[in-house]
Amino acid sequence: MSTGSVDLLAHEGDDPDLETDGAAAAIEARSPLQLFWRRLRRDKVAMTALVFIVLLILAAILAPLIVKLVGAPGISTPDRSTFDDFGLPDASKGGGPGSEHLFGVDRIGRDVFSRTLYGARTSLEVAFISTFAAVVVGVTLGMIAGYYRGGTDTVLSRIMDIQLAFPVLLLAIGLGAACSLGDGCFGGLLQPGLPVVIFTIALAQWPYMARIIRGQTLSLREKEYVEAARSIGAPNRRIIFRELLPNLVAPIIVYSTVLIPTNILFEAALSFLGVGVQPPTPSWGEMISDATSIFDIAWWFMFFPGMALLLTVLAFNLIGDGLQDALNPRAKK
Amino acid sequence: MAIFIIRRLLWSVVLLVFVTFLTFLIFVVLPSADPALLRAGRNPTPEIIASIRKTLGLDQPWYVQYFKYLRNLVLHFDFGYSYQNFLSVKETIFPRMPATISLALGGAVVWLLIGIPVGILSAVKRGTFIERFAMGAALVGISAPVYWLGLVSIYLFSTDIGKFPIFDATGNYANPWDDFGRWLSSLILPWIVLAVSFAAIYARFMRSNLIEVLDEDYIRTARAKGLVERRVILRHGVRSAITPIVTIFGLDLGILLGGAILTETVFNIPGIGRTAFDAIQKSDLPVVQGTVLIGATAIVLFNLIVDVLYGFIDPRVRY
Amino acid sequence: MTRLTRARLAPALLIAVAGLAAGCGSSSSEKSSSKGGTNPGGAEIGKGKQGGDVTYLAAADVDFLDPGQTYYTFGFMVRDATNRSLYGFKPGEEGPSPDLAASDPQISPDKKTITIKMKPGVKFSAPVNRAATSKDVKYAIERAFTANVPNGYASSYFAEIQGAPAKPISIKKLKPFSGLQTPDDQTLIIKLTKPVAPRVAAALVLPISVPVPESYAKKFDAQTPSTYDQHVVFTGPYQVKHDASGKVTGRRPGKLIEIERNPNWDKSTDYRPAFLDSIRIEEGNDDQTVATRRTISGQSLMCCDSGQPPIPILKRALTRYKDQLGRVASGGTRWIAMNMTIKPFDNLNVRKAIVAGFNRSALRLTRGGAAVGPIAQGYIPPGIPGYDESGGTKGFGDTLDFMKNPEGDAALAKKYMLAAKKQGVPVSSDGKYAGKGGILTIATNADPGLSTAQVGQQEFSKLGFKLNFRKVPQDTLYTKFCGIPKAKVAVCPNVGWFKDFVDPESMLEPTFDGKAIKPAGNVNWSQLDDPKINAAMAKAALIEQGDARNKAWAEINKQIVAQAPGIPYSWDDSFQLESKDVNGIMNGNFTTWDLSFSSLK
Repeated sequence: MSTGSVDLLAHEGDDPDLETDGAAAAIEARSPLQLFWRRLRRDKVAMTALVFIVLLILAAILAPLIVKLVGAPGISTPDRSTFDDFGLPDASKGGGPGSEHLFGVDRIGRDVFSRTLYGARTSLEVAFISTFAAVVVGVTLGMIAGYYRGGTDTVLSRIMDIQLAFPVLLLAIGLGAACSLGDGCFGGLLQPGLPVVIFTIALAQWPYMARIIRGQTLSLREKEYVEAARSIGAPNRRIIFRELLPNLVAPIIVYSTVLIPTNILFEAALSFLGVGVQPPTPSWGEMISDATSIFDIAWWFMFFPGMALLLTVLAFNLIGDGLQDALNPRAKK
Repeated sequence: MAIFIIRRLLWSVVLLVFVTFLTFLIFVVLPSADPALLRAGRNPTPEIIASIRKTLGLDQPWYVQYFKYLRNLVLHFDFGYSYQNFLSVKETIFPRMPATISLALGGAVVWLLIGIPVGILSAVKRGTFIERFAMGAALVGISAPVYWLGLVSIYLFSTDIGKFPIFDATGNYANPWDDFGRWLSSLILPWIVLAVSFAAIYARFMRSNLIEVLDEDYIRTARAKGLVERRVILRHGVRSAITPIVTIFGLDLGILLGGAILTETVFNIPGIGRTAFDAIQKSDLPVVQGTVLIGATAIVLFNLIVDVLYGFIDPRVRY
Repeated sequence: MTRLTRARLAPALLIAVAGLAAGCGSSSSEKSSSKGGTNPGGAEIGKGKQGGDVTYLAAADVDFLDPGQTYYTFGFMVRDATNRSLYGFKPGEEGPSPDLAASDPQISPDKKTITIKMKPGVKFSAPVNRAATSKDVKYAIERAFTANVPNGYASSYFAEIQGAPAKPISIKKLKPFSGLQTPDDQTLIIKLTKPVAPRVAAALVLPISVPVPESYAKKFDAQTPSTYDQHVVFTGPYQVKHDASGKVTGRRPGKLIEIERNPNWDKSTDYRPAFLDSIRIEEGNDDQTVATRRTISGQSLMCCDSGQPPIPILKRALTRYKDQLGRVASGGTRWIAMNMTIKPFDNLNVRKAIVAGFNRSALRLTRGGAAVGPIAQGYIPPGIPGYDESGGTKGFGDTLDFMKNPEGDAALAKKYMLAAKKQGVPVSSDGKYAGKGGILTIATNADPGLSTAQVGQQEFSKLGFKLNFRKVPQDTLYTKFCGIPKAKVAVCPNVGWFKDFVDPESMLEPTFDGKAIKPAGNVNWSQLDDPKINAAMAKAALIEQGDARNKAWAEINKQIVAQAPGIPYSWDDSFQLESKDVNGIMNGNFTTWDLSFSSLK
């Protein structure tokens, strides 16, 4: 499985270095953000990836315009003139990649280029929102557990344990199947379609974030300035938001950038298995899944959404690497 | 140490009970699917449905059902019977485990054999083209969805429709003791495809660990003493850099032994993952419970093994 | 990858009880079903090489080995090779032939009594080892009325037997039916409460008439449900491997079924040539693309239990491997059902508009286009009496304007939409549906059905209907959603009905009779409940086989189509694949390979 948390765990070993960076920044008397940006800008690969992502976001937003500009038929207009007698896309009739259809047509004659482009919308929307939700929940609960320790920590940590022991893809499939009907589930709170997918992914991912933040908070709360704040009687809420949170920004950014590509793959995997985004909303995972029945005669239908997925995830991973290097210059020399 | 293990074992059991409970709860939330209907045939008269419901124990409230399930599980190691075909869940799941285990272990061998050497090489050849190429490739590997890689590899290499027919990818899986040749040939492509993203992760991880270790004082000392570089790296560097790998390896293996749904799906391998997926879609609660339980057990167990092993490898860890 | 379910299409894949009682009304069925099916490479029925072993690739297990419970196509196929019913179907023949029976059933003039003579000397397999008698058939029929042996059709086709309970009872309360008499071991007399003997006699081809030895089966039948399924004895040329006590050992559900020759079978009593020595059914091949690919390129393989091969494979088979492809008329119709109890499909004009605007040709393309069969025009498919009377491939287009253009007629659709607008349906001025909310649609999760559903979704959207889509496996689609009126599914794009009988009644009554609507296992998916149509059906059911009957049912077919309860789109044939060295024979009765007629080259 290339979804899930493997990537996150792989990075876990790096985290002790992150906090030292704040100190380094203070010495150079620049705001950490400035410094970080300067370093990042020097990273050509990461910048290229960033440009790619910005372009992708623009393309997703402007998808209808681009589709018109290119003269593509749009996401749901079938072009059956490209079919052979058996109703299958035929390259010799313009069903394959060509001037009429840049990326060819799909199983039912729709333009793969347009659908791939619109697929970016789904992918990014789900990835951004679910990451945001997982981060908010994970950071909040992680900080609470790490800061208050004791019973609160035990309960929260055990919940995380249980959830981490649960096969995550199965949980997602179960929820996806349960909530994709009629009014959705939880009394209609969770509507079928994108909301279910976003919720499912966020639910599966928050414990990883929470675990990391908990660990960081545990060590941060022993720092002198936190001790000092506590000794002068600052309220807990203030300490958490004013003292701890700013110092957690770096790991939060790093793990968020790791989460985004993970979640893109997650959504694609769910859609591939048929429990994610439902038709006719284009999704890369779903397109690949649809393509499985004809991939030996219409390679393009499988190839292009897969490439889009690969490149997008790659770009996010490159940015993630760049961010990490920028926040932690020691690791790369 | 013994106390630690016992405490962890006890918690693991509690954890598994929670997991089964959670699975049950999710099913209660599921929109009403009456498993009795699945068995009632074409003329599901209320009488037949009622009798089947009774046989399946569905006429009782869900918490009673759950309690009975738990009791049978604990006292008799009885996983119950499938709603779909009345078969014992044990009979449904256990025969499918060899495929999943074969896939996971074989894949693990492949990714370790690729990931670790590539990681070491990249760390040693830091700043060279080799490192940049290897790490670039690793990042691509991490970014590629496994099912897509699977399809592409079938398109390119499978013996019947492939452009370069090399590997058998026609879902020919057989258990190794029945037909070893078929077992091997049917799994080579899945192993490679499954291993790609893991090999990439391990190579990256190995590289960054090793780079870090090689900067440590004791390595500098060793070098200063005039030890041969190869010896320094292999004897001292790799040895300590590999310790954290053991951790993630244990966790990854635990997750995979619970079923690699996507890989099993693409390559048509009759494993636990697919069984679980089908069972969910068919609302076959007992089978879902069984597969989730096995998956969770694998994860919990390997977590434990990793923690214990860690104590042996890294003497600094205290329990 | 795509997964396929056991049920090919309709939940009732109950197959042909063909040609209602020999002789009656066969004229029109011969006329209409010119396609008796083609066997690959021009294989000759009844000729073949003796011996050899074949592996049959299947996705899932047979539903039951117990003939009292067998229900699906795949189960029928295995049953036919291992257990003999009173009457059976030789491949390539329209009507039934006596199998256990020695001759055609004798029907009394008042149509209330059937007399059947049985062949002597058809022996059960071990451990019973004696000849099957009429008493064994009597018990087989009786047990099918108990709750211990849930039977899919006993109450539909045999309820008129004197003494049969109206509802399934416990086997402990089972009393011998007064309507089943066995004056000697070779004679079975069936007495009926109504003059429906032709239908009951025709239904004796169903597995319910496979003899079950009471003294042996009794202890198994005492369980709920009966465990006879694991201890079946066999009368056919083949048997599933079992031990000396009769316990079936050659069936490991989800893995394999081992079928071998039945040493107690006497060739002189049977029309089956039984060329093969053994058939190994390998289960778990639920990826049909893979299974069919394997079959084409492999050796001694036959495929598949789950219906039509994927279209790309079918195309390749039809163009390049014609001699590895078996084809037979499926006797079924596929359509998209609209639930008439859910708004806006309760409005006739809305439904007519949808059918008028639908590109049904595009729907059929998802199943392989013109090469696989005609576009459906109604609900009586080719091969079933009443088909010609329903206008054949042209259907009712001349009188029902909305059925005229299979490519879709946008102007006509708009006209009907605007007519609906006048009746209060929310419709915009340009004829698009303007109602709020998505329309719950349950589609199958595997191709070709998934493509059909997606094209359907597209076609609906042309008129402004937004379908709220959910993908599930085909049998879940029936058992959890489309077959349960309470699930309130508005559109079921992947339904179909295949022959129970070679008779129009069995095509239309379960699927469109308002009285047939059931809380579960419902197949009147549109929930059409039109008093006029219901009454017409009740009347037409009593008409004797023949032209009058066919005309009456064709008229009902027309009335149903006029109500536009669904969008019929395909009358495709059934296709099956085999390896090069296999000489497969298709059986039109259960629309798949006939194991006891197939052989190796």
